[in-house]
Amino acid sequence: MANPIANLQRISAEYSQMDKKDKRRFWTDGILNNALYILMLAFCIYTAIKQPNFVSWGSLGNLIVQVAAYLPMALGIAGCIVLTGTDLSAGRVCGLTAAVTGVFLQKSDFANKMFTSLPEVNGWWIAVTLLTVIAIGALIGLVNGFFVAKFSLHPFIVTLSTQLITYGIILWFFALNGNNGQPISGLSAEYKDFVGGELFRLGPARIPMYVLYAVILTALMWFIWNKTSFGKNMFAVGSNAEAARVSGVNVFWTTVLVHTLAGAMYGYSGFVEGYRAGSIAASTGLNYECDAIAACVIGGVSFVGGTGKISGIVLGVVILRIIFIALTMLGVDSSSLYIIKGAIILCACSLDMRKYLVKK
Amino acid sequence: MNPSSPEQNERTQPRELKGLYKGVKVSVKTLDIVIVLCVLAIVLFVAVDLQSPGFTVSFDPNGGTDVPAQTQMYGEALKLPQPPTREGYSFTGWYKDPACFEPWNTEEDFIQSALTLYAGWEKN
Repeated sequence: MANPIANLQRISAEYSQMDKKDKRRFWTDGILNNALYILMLAFCIYTAIKQPNFVSWGSLGNLIVQVAAYLPMALGIAGCIVLTGTDLSAGRVCGLTAAVTGVFLQKSDFANKMFTSLPEVNGWWIAVTLLTVIAIGALIGLVNGFFVAKFSLHPFIVTLSTQLITYGIILWFFALNGNNGQPISGLSAEYKDFVGGELFRLGPARIPMYVLYAVILTALMWFIWNKTSFGKNMFAVGSNAEAARVSGVNVFWTTVLVHTLAGAMYGYSGFVEGYRAGSIAASTGLNYECDAIAACVIGGVSFVGGTGKISGIVLGVVILRIIFIALTMLGVDSSSLYIIKGAIILCACSLDMRKYLVKK
Repeated sequence: MNPSSPEQNERTQPRELKGLYKGVKVSVKTLDIVIVLCVLAIVLFVAVDLQSPGFTVSFDPNGGTDVPAQTQMYGEALKLPQPPTREGYSFTGWYKDPACFEPWNTEEDFIQSALTLYAGWEKN
């Protein structure tokens, strides 16, 4: 990674040699390429003036908590985007695994416990649940990856159908054992402690354990992307599948594994989401993939394929969350946030295309 | 530095993209316009939305007498309304879920988004 100070010096040296026209281009390019960052900054300044609370340890803590919750899904989906695909099933997979987590880890003395024969919740049982939901996520990812790789189907088609199938399974799951679609609540204290126990405090904000898990997962994904041959193959397939095939990369297995890994990440997201939702409904996880995709594109994981960095994904999630926290504190309604999200995705894709064309 | 005329052409000439944008043919100039329009649309939308800021807190009386909705800002503690009444039942409090398992805690919970609270009842 380039030294930022040396980078700035190089840019200023280049800038001083430019003529007037190039200088103007330098500024328009700079402003347009960073349009979303500037927009975020503008929202932040405005919010800070209107709501002095915004600049506080409490909202920094809130930001960290939200980033930790949304990051794993973005890390998973980023791999699919590097392969010039995407994954529309992420949110529903997260919803399904959240529901499974909830049912497995209900209090044993809870009156509306769905399956009374499940064992008492302890450390082992939590580990079994975590592995089960990761396996469920990975299995759905495997199905996605298989159809994408085997039949060269577009991921939009494959993952749209798994999204709907998963939703069907969720509805069916909620109707099991006379539950009749009721939300799943009464989660056990052991599970709540494991996911949401206090790691440390930042002012008034409690930083829960899952922030630590998100850091570990980010490090793990960084290692997979940068230090393993699987990661290198993924980028090779993403930038040019045919060239990768010729140079001996197993395109089929790379594609299948990227989707499987993504599915495992959604499984973990569901495990945390169960705690965050408190009472898990069939609609849990709806549209989460949109946030994850937007964060990736903002963070420079290009739909052109073959490019992206873990640090970019983290930055993308942080920026998206800062925008939403600022807007929420200003009092913008959540239904309006959907419209803004849509515009942000369109803007981020245009930026992505622009960067590619200017570089070419 | 490059001479300016071919570069000017490069900016206005539509060109092919690859990857997920395969088949898209667009010029840098068009994209510039789209980006500026998107940013303007977001800012304008936020400005319009902020004419009436705040979140609606609705109360579902679950069979009791109606309770009017409130509008509150982010981070405020909820000012609980007069409890509703219902023949043959006594009111047990406001809950976050329709099944009335998770009570609203005025000490710890605060407004983070639009929400509905449900009245809990106990048969007399």
